Amino acid sequence: MTDHKMSLTRRRLLGTVGAAAAVSPFAINIVRAQESKIKIGFPVPLTGPYGAEAEDQVRAAQVAIAEFNEAGGLAGRMAELLVRDDKLNPGEAATRTLELIENDKVNFIVGSLSAAVQLAVNNVTKQRKVIFNSISQSDAINEVADFSPYTFHEALNPHMTAGAVGRYAFQKFGKKVVFLTADYAYGTEMVTGFREAGKAFNIEVMGDIRHPIGATDFSTLLPRIQAMKPDILCISNFGRDQQIALKQATDFGMKKQMKIIAPILLYTGRIAAGEAAFEGVIGGTSYYWGIENKIASAKAFNDRFRKMFAGKVPSDYGSLAYGGVKTLLMGAKNAGSTDAEKVIPAVEALKYDYYKGPQYYRKCDHQSVQSVFIIESKTAPKDNPTDVFNVIAIDEPNEANLRSCEVLGHKA
Amino acid sequence: MTDLADNSAKRLAPSGFLEFARRHRTLLAALFLLVFPLLVPFKALAVNILIYGLYALGFNLLFGYLGLLSFGHSALFGAGAYICGILMVHVGMPWWAGVLLGCVAGAAMAAIIGTFAIRTSGIYFAMVTLALSQCIYYVFYQATGLTGGENGLRGVNVEMISIFGLRLNFVDPLTRYYVVAAFVIVALWILSRILASPFGAVIESVRENEARARASGYDVRRVRLVTFILSGAFCGLAGALQAIHLSIVPIELMHYETSGLVVMMALLGGMGTFFGPFVGAAVFLLLENLVSLWTVHWQLFVGAVFVVCVLFFPRGIWGSILHAMEKK
Repeated sequence: MTDHKMSLTRRRLLGTVGAAAAVSPFAINIVRAQESKIKIGFPVPLTGPYGAEAEDQVRAAQVAIAEFNEAGGLAGRMAELLVRDDKLNPGEAATRTLELIENDKVNFIVGSLSAAVQLAVNNVTKQRKVIFNSISQSDAINEVADFSPYTFHEALNPHMTAGAVGRYAFQKFGKKVVFLTADYAYGTEMVTGFREAGKAFNIEVMGDIRHPIGATDFSTLLPRIQAMKPDILCISNFGRDQQIALKQATDFGMKKQMKIIAPILLYTGRIAAGEAAFEGVIGGTSYYWGIENKIASAKAFNDRFRKMFAGKVPSDYGSLAYGGVKTLLMGAKNAGSTDAEKVIPAVEALKYDYYKGPQYYRKCDHQSVQSVFIIESKTAPKDNPTDVFNVIAIDEPNEANLRSCEVLGHKA
Repeated sequence: MTDLADNSAKRLAPSGFLEFARRHRTLLAALFLLVFPLLVPFKALAVNILIYGLYALGFNLLFGYLGLLSFGHSALFGAGAYICGILMVHVGMPWWAGVLLGCVAGAAMAAIIGTFAIRTSGIYFAMVTLALSQCIYYVFYQATGLTGGENGLRGVNVEMISIFGLRLNFVDPLTRYYVVAAFVIVALWILSRILASPFGAVIESVRENEARARASGYDVRRVRLVTFILSGAFCGLAGALQAIHLSIVPIELMHYETSGLVVMMALLGGMGTFFGPFVGAAVFLLLENLVSLWTVHWQLFVGAVFVVCVLFFPRGIWGSILHAMEKK
């Protein structure tokens, strides 16, 4: 009896407080709070070896935010970017993501520049039902164990990238292939992608040489490769490793004996290492600013980027941040809400062309189906030092180039 | 090194508050940990400080009290995290079993490394522990099926937990903090008991004068091994708590940088003091988080603080505070 009475009084009390709040000036605050900014958490490795790439990711994300806000936001709600340094460490990235979700109450997370970091962030976000759009390469994130409805992958994955480069190179330059690979997830996933693509061309793998990450001397490996006399040398490593390997291969005169290909040619890497090391090397990329004379959306994105950042052009990994932020914001706009359950179907429904031609997210794994550009490094003309690649082919967006939903473990 | 120990001869001379604090150090630490999350910018950082604080305390048992500098503690921390994670993800064990067995795994790993390493001392001990921890790093790195390798182990998810019939939501940041804090407080109490026991005095006697300890009839090698194993248990527990806190186990946890980090934390806070390493961990993580919000050159800043501490406060932050209070 007493309990009943108490609960009645409490209810009445709550009702009174509620009514008072509704008529008081606080009511306005409550309504305003709901219309507060759309917050996007952005963990990227500002410190560490990929700092330059990360800064470019921040710039490109700011372009997407600025465009969204200029267009009026989501019925007046403006977007805001909360940048955090993940230090290229999955533990730090997970902690920062927790901070962004628990403390800053972000609506979405976009970011990461490593496979391990994105999987760590993804594990945190999916447990808390917050949408995460990853903007760096990984095959694992598509697989059923890591995927969740809250997971999106705007970046390419190694299977798509290596597949596109392989399909181009194996039919043009020959079937005898040697792999030189950095021995970690990125390298091994790339080699798996090349081998898969090579099956259709009956390639002959003459050697599969692994080197530790952060290697500075390839001089013991390169003569072994020369002795194998392959048609193609496929170098799958990243950043500084790639620059050193290409430089030493050039010094050994290997470019005269075989064609050198790489799954990804980094714009920043090419600028840093100079033309000699990269000359004639063929690789893939998710974006190169030079496609602007063919693709209108790229032209618009580049121009906006140049305007905001003193004439700079966006890099490949940077541009992914633009796509990653923009798709979520447009999804929210179309859904008329930032509620994850409403934004997810809206993003799934997007058929977008924001900066590199048509794209869409595949339903089963939320992988962005998109084109891969095959590029060849060249000597930049004197008047434009940023003009370092020729786009020699475009691997058009095609779900057939992705691993199938069944292979990834998703139910059809 | 002369006045590192806060439980040296001065313990016998009571001096008001300080003596009270020394007697009830676990209780005071526990009370402090209850209000701690209010003082920290965000809860996940507070939990990290708890975990790294415990890791540093475990390390300090070996470094500060026994006087052996190990550069391989990441293997103990990492083993706790991985075993807890693997048992939960691949075997489907409940979280509490994972945490307890993670603690056991830290001790077991310490027994393996310790068996080889305690035969040496000084710089050789540091090198042997470093080398062995690198071997273990490589084993875990290559065992991709179990550990996830380069990508790390994911899915160490703990959601609703029930403790003695009480249902708690572990995803809630404050709940997560207090659950982890409960483990840390129990560990603090056990550590405090060990140090206050006769065995604790033997540990310090080995540090102060090995020959005299041996002459007094103590088996120095066994004391070292047992201390190493106890240190491993604390570090393993810290690792297991890290696994359930972040719901992932990254391979970086086993990297030798994690070993170096704990040395830095212990030195910063004050080695050989009971609570110093905890203070060191808190100061380091707070600095790292606050400074990296406004500059990408946070390492320069944290490094400068470290250099200043080593040059002008060789007792560490906590050690210097204790020293100043004792002088009064």
